[in-house]
Amino acid sequence: MGPLIPNGLIPVEWNFVIAILIGIAFGYIMEATGFSSSRKLAGVFYGYDFAVLKVFFTSAVVAVIGLYYMDYLNFVDISQLYVQPTYLWAAVIGGMIMGVGFLAGGFCPGTSLCAVAIGKIDGMVFTVGLMIGIFIFSESFSVLEPFFESSNLGHITLVDSLGMSPYWIILIITSIALVAFAFSDWVRSKVKKVFY
Amino acid sequence: MSKRYKSKKFLVKTRYIILATILFLLALGLVLLPKYQKNEGINPELFVINAVSTERYISTDLLADRIINQDPTLLLIDTRPEKEFNEFSLPNAVNIQLKDFFNEELNSYLDQDVYDVILFSNDNFYANEVWMLGNRLGYKNLFVLKGGLNEWFSTIINPKYPDETMPREAFELYDFRKAAGMYFGVGVTKTKSEEKPKSKKKVITAPKKKKRVPEGGC
Repeated sequence: MGPLIPNGLIPVEWNFVIAILIGIAFGYIMEATGFSSSRKLAGVFYGYDFAVLKVFFTSAVVAVIGLYYMDYLNFVDISQLYVQPTYLWAAVIGGMIMGVGFLAGGFCPGTSLCAVAIGKIDGMVFTVGLMIGIFIFSESFSVLEPFFESSNLGHITLVDSLGMSPYWIILIITSIALVAFAFSDWVRSKVKKVFY
Repeated sequence: MSKRYKSKKFLVKTRYIILATILFLLALGLVLLPKYQKNEGINPELFVINAVSTERYISTDLLADRIINQDPTLLLIDTRPEKEFNEFSLPNAVNIQLKDFFNEELNSYLDQDVYDVILFSNDNFYANEVWMLGNRLGYKNLFVLKGGLNEWFSTIINPKYPDETMPREAFELYDFRKAAGMYFGVGVTKTKSEEKPKSKKKVITAPKKKKRVPEGGC
């Protein structure tokens, strides 16, 4: 049956309309849960607020469990879902740069736009920095391209790279998530509380 | 403290543990669920409906018309053994037998939705085998030449002259088939064969008589 658009159950023209609606809902929920506050995001690094870790990890685990149940019941064909290609070393370096930006600015790209939407000045400054970063990357792409393309592993997932059953990987990741939540609660209880 | 308040307090205190347990049990459920072989392609009901339907068949007349009009969406696939394919096939046909079905390079001819793929063999048999497999996997635009090359020969290459009592359409169809046959080179070979027998006849008459002698003797 699913995915709905590739299988023609929803016309392909609806693609962007649905994307915009999901984007609006995503932005609204992020703002409603306080993710447009840079203090909340930076809290993960300082150990006083782990909401970001909990929310994003929970959403990933819930989504993967739901998708695989739907695949089991033939509602969705997992093999038809698009998997982003893995550029290993480019992703490692990019992740480190983003981590520094995340910690220094207190936003990730999505939450910075949420912050802009509610008029936060630090969010606006961050977004301008983000645009400058994108501009520099785009302009210097011809120089970076050999490195960028060098470690393209294709459309792989943990199932391909570990050669394990996806169900066991899901169980392991869920267990890691639950341990991480418990550990983050323990860290939070040890760290001095910050009110903001 | 009322009982209700106590249970509420318990729920509030333990809500994260309850939610974490549910999440873990759901993930465990995926591991413990009995696994089954997932079949690719269309569902069995649709497969049977398609198999019973004669919509997949294309007539030799329609195919000849499309070849003559140089239809760019036409892709001819000869499903006979390679030896027979090398001896004779339709113009621009590609040889893909059932055993080549999962050959990645050749399979790309079948698994696409740009061309109308016309499968043919001597009759319907080999072509239907390939069609069945393609139909099961949900390939689009697969057709079978009705009657195969045998039908092609008896209709396009060597059409039967209709009876006097037959309707006008039958004569028109005969004319079309004759003309199509000429397009495929029948006229050329006929004129040659018509000329040659005249000269050959004189030569052949003698051995024929010889042959008849032992036949008669038996």
